[in-house]
Amino acid sequence: MKEEVILANELTKIYHRGSEDIYALKDVSFAIGKGEFAAIVGPSGSGKTTLLNLLGCLDTPTQGSLRLNGIEVNGLKERDLVKLRRENIGFVFQQFFLLPTLTVRENIELPLLFNKRNGYKSNIDDIIEIVGLESRAEHLPGQLSGGEMQRVAIGRALINEPKIILADEPTGNLDSATALRIFQLFQNLNSQGLTLIIVTHNLELAKSAHKVIQLKDGEIARKISSRGLLKKARS
Amino acid sequence: MNFVTLAIKNLFRRRGRTSLTIFGVAIAVAVLFSLLSFNSGYEKQLSGELDSMGIHILAVPKGCPYEAASLIIHGGVIPKYLSNSDVEEAKKIDGIEVASPMLLHQFYKDEKPHIVYGINIDDMRRLKAWWKVEGRFFSQTEDNVMVIGRSLAENEKLKVGDVLPFGPDKIPFTIVGILERTGTQDDEFHFLPLQVAQRIFGKPDQITTIAIRVKDISQISVISKELENIPDVQVVTMTQVMGTIMNLVGSARTLLVSVIIVAIIISVLGIMNTLLMSVNERTSEFGMMKAIGASGLDIGRLVLIETLFITVIGGVIGLLFSALGSGLIEGFVKGIIPYSPAGKLMTPDPGLIGLCLLFSIIIGFVCGIYPAIRSSRLTPMEAIRSNLE
Repeated sequence: MKEEVILANELTKIYHRGSEDIYALKDVSFAIGKGEFAAIVGPSGSGKTTLLNLLGCLDTPTQGSLRLNGIEVNGLKERDLVKLRRENIGFVFQQFFLLPTLTVRENIELPLLFNKRNGYKSNIDDIIEIVGLESRAEHLPGQLSGGEMQRVAIGRALINEPKIILADEPTGNLDSATALRIFQLFQNLNSQGLTLIIVTHNLELAKSAHKVIQLKDGEIARKISSRGLLKKARS
Repeated sequence: MNFVTLAIKNLFRRRGRTSLTIFGVAIAVAVLFSLLSFNSGYEKQLSGELDSMGIHILAVPKGCPYEAASLIIHGGVIPKYLSNSDVEEAKKIDGIEVASPMLLHQFYKDEKPHIVYGINIDDMRRLKAWWKVEGRFFSQTEDNVMVIGRSLAENEKLKVGDVLPFGPDKIPFTIVGILERTGTQDDEFHFLPLQVAQRIFGKPDQITTIAIRVKDISQISVISKELENIPDVQVVTMTQVMGTIMNLVGSARTLLVSVIIVAIIISVLGIMNTLLMSVNERTSEFGMMKAIGASGLDIGRLVLIETLFITVIGGVIGLLFSALGSGLIEGFVKGIIPYSPAGKLMTPDPGLIGLCLLFSIIIGFVCGIYPAIRSSRLTPMEAIRSNLE
């Protein structure tokens, strides 16, 4: 087993609605090694968002423990969670969430505004090159295609040199040809050692993953290898 | 890129709304600045006007209320008179430097009121040492001559040497001098030798008031008491005149202040509402920012900077508005208050400008702090997903 960057142990998240307790996640345990590519799949309401929330340090579990890059997340203060997120995680969203008045370069640069270390300024050109947007660097999001916008979002996720990329339905808004190119970009990043965790409904994307975590009603329905998933998709 | 450039770019995204919000702040600040400027200008100008009379005490006919005494300095005419002998009595009192008799008369020409001052020119020049004249002053023994104020000369297109028919009998009077601009009511008046004014207006031996300057202002109350020993004489000090005028305009000012406070409250609520709408619309965006490393403090700071930009720019524009529109505003307010000094009341006072800019910053904080706190407390992933599901 490779060095674990994520170690989830009996993660439980309970939301309270009146006197009712709602289990968004129940006893979810898994480990993701450094450089692994994991896909989280499952129907709507299965707990994917909650899990992504916890893995992204945007929320803390009610019970259980989550170690991220060796640091126990549970019990950390908001300030420490922000620091942990800045230094370890890059987010990619289905709807890109680019700021329309900022150029490609400025959108990619945006996380540096919040990162007090601010030491990655020189990386911007490299990242623009990695995501293949050299000729579009000074364009506004409104002048880009959907695929290009997602590349900008990926560039933005990479700027702080994170250890993990968390992507929430990154191809949900793209046509299949564009989605394929975004897969390839993710695969390239993963092959360079970046840990990838992608929430997706797209079985094509999930089949490229080393590990697939299938959620149902807040619990892990099964953990399967991509090979297994491929067989399931074909059957 | 920094927070300020990001805030500016965000404001440019919603140009229409940003402009309207800035406009709202501008109006609030313009109204506030105009009021404060008018208020301080009014008191300053009134006090300056009273000082410029060079007078400490007005001796007026007994039974003349303070209000009427206040009107005298504005050229108002009251239907009671003192006599030349009262002046002689007054001059005997120790401590009086100058006691200058005046007869005021008002007439209408082309439906405009004209004020005539019958004066003792030597006394008057001692009271108003700063008076300068184009042409010359008349001497007390001359007949059918007058000196006029600068504004009057300009409005009536009169110049030194002009002869104009004057008084009920249309006697030809020669303008021997035009006062250099004083910035006071004097710019509007006709000045005649006292005995000439008494003769042509049929008021022999009658005077409206005695303007008195004392040698030592600490003796004003002692001298006032002595003056009141003269039968028919009532004393009004300049301090009382100022107080009376301020009381006269007080209720009008209270009404104005109330209207302005309501206008400012409405404006502040409007700005806050706009900012809250803007924050609500950007829930997902703030969620994204948190996800990519922004802290709640960063988001709050961004919202606050945007708000402060709006209010400070609005404040500057509001000050420009009130500078450009000060003539209109001044004309309007002068029309609804019972007494106003001559000259420009609204002047750009740096302290007041600073105060109004501070006010716009405070509006920014008041309006921005709640939206900033709300946005900083957003839970990122729910915010993001709420946009999707």
